[in-house]
Amino acid sequence: MPQTTIYSAPPNSPLVPIPAVATHEVARLFGGSAALAGVSLSVERGRLVTLVGPNGAGKTTLLRILATSLRPTFGAALVDGIDVVARPELVRRRVAFLAHATGLYDDLTATENLRFAATMLGRADAADAVPATLADVGLAADADRRVRGFSAGMRRRLALGRLLLAEPSLVLLDEPHAALDADGMALVDRLLERWREGGATVMVASHHADRIMDLADGWARLDGGLLVETGGRGIGATAPALARTAPATAVADR
Amino acid sequence: MTGARADLAIAWAIARKDALSELRGRQAAGSTLFFAALVLLLFGFALGPDSRKLAEAAPGLLWLAIVFGGLLTVARLHQVETDDDALDQLARYPVDRRAIYLGKALAGLLAMAVLGGLLLPVVGIMYSVDLLAAGPGLLLTLLLGAIGFAAVGTLYAGVTVRMRAREVMLPLLMLPAIAPLLLAAVKATTAALAGDPLGEFWPWVQLLAGFDVIMLIAGGAGYGFLLEE
Repeated sequence: MPQTTIYSAPPNSPLVPIPAVATHEVARLFGGSAALAGVSLSVERGRLVTLVGPNGAGKTTLLRILATSLRPTFGAALVDGIDVVARPELVRRRVAFLAHATGLYDDLTATENLRFAATMLGRADAADAVPATLADVGLAADADRRVRGFSAGMRRRLALGRLLLAEPSLVLLDEPHAALDADGMALVDRLLERWREGGATVMVASHHADRIMDLADGWARLDGGLLVETGGRGIGATAPALARTAPATAVADR
Repeated sequence: MTGARADLAIAWAIARKDALSELRGRQAAGSTLFFAALVLLLFGFALGPDSRKLAEAAPGLLWLAIVFGGLLTVARLHQVETDDDALDQLARYPVDRRAIYLGKALAGLLAMAVLGGLLLPVVGIMYSVDLLAAGPGLLLTLLLGAIGFAAVGTLYAGVTVRMRAREVMLPLLMLPAIAPLLLAAVKATTAALAGDPLGEFWPWVQLLAGFDVIMLIAGGAGYGFLLEE
């Protein structure tokens, strides 16, 4: 039985609250190269923060580690104070992750895909929740169509719908605007607002920094697997070696 | 919902999802059945027209056809998960890993049972074997063999699903592991078809059942590690 690593202050403690996300020198090697080379940061609960940086910066790798899809080679990553390596099953109950790949089943319909997800997420009200979710993401008219015939944007919408079936405290989105038209992008913006109003913490890796920055509390810029700078509210570097901080608006032009 | 009931509901959802994908998939189950029937036909050609020799070889050939068809089936049931990286999504659901294994194995069992059930009359006609005389003993052997094959196949398909050469590695790893199952299934089938004159049927069936239990336990324990990256 792996030992649980939960850094927790007692209720009403005067101590600093547990961050939604805390990483300490997290590194991930693929072969001989480091996709992530020692990132230490923390994100406060209930914040919407964005990760920016060029391709290969390590944004996706960091999100995948937090989602328990990848194990860090070195370092530690905690979600709500729970170690993602020691107790991934507890982390999975708290995290919803939109990855690059949508992870849908081509030969099932949109409804069947969401019903399957609802069962896996322990939703007893799938019969009501699934049609409502399909309507939320604009796919009510395509509910009984097989996903094989969906466009990339429709698949993205359906994957977003799957996130809505979960009740996460941490939402991780990897390029959520990819393949979406203007309506789809507006849908993402509405969902971001909904999650934030619901008290969830949201981390978004996006090349559409200008779009996200209007909504985001704070941001972090990664480059070459390193955390280069952070800005705004709710996100901060925790490594002594880090770097500058900048106002939240500074990254909008990147 | 209690833990065990929730796990069963999850396993059933996975099996249902796989069965739907299999039935609707472009590589339909029909091609697997056709392949297995072709194996039986080619073995028949290789053994020649001697009907007595064919009838004697029928139990072994039936199980070889089931094994070859089954290899394709279990591989395809995991192929569904590699399309669009669904396996990664499946692994991220907050559910007991044993429930995922059970669901995949149940899907494999359903597919194997259908394959075996459809091959039986093919064997009966092609090799002049009186299947009705074997009765429930043959069906019991088929069921236990299908359970064992699905238990092992699901585990090894999980081992190889992320490999580049998975089409080669799956039979390479799996065939040695199912050797005891193949031996027991062929012996039990032979005894059932012959009316069990030497009382050999039940010992082989017990061996099959023991193999199934061990492999289901091993699969349930090991499959979760395979889902992790």
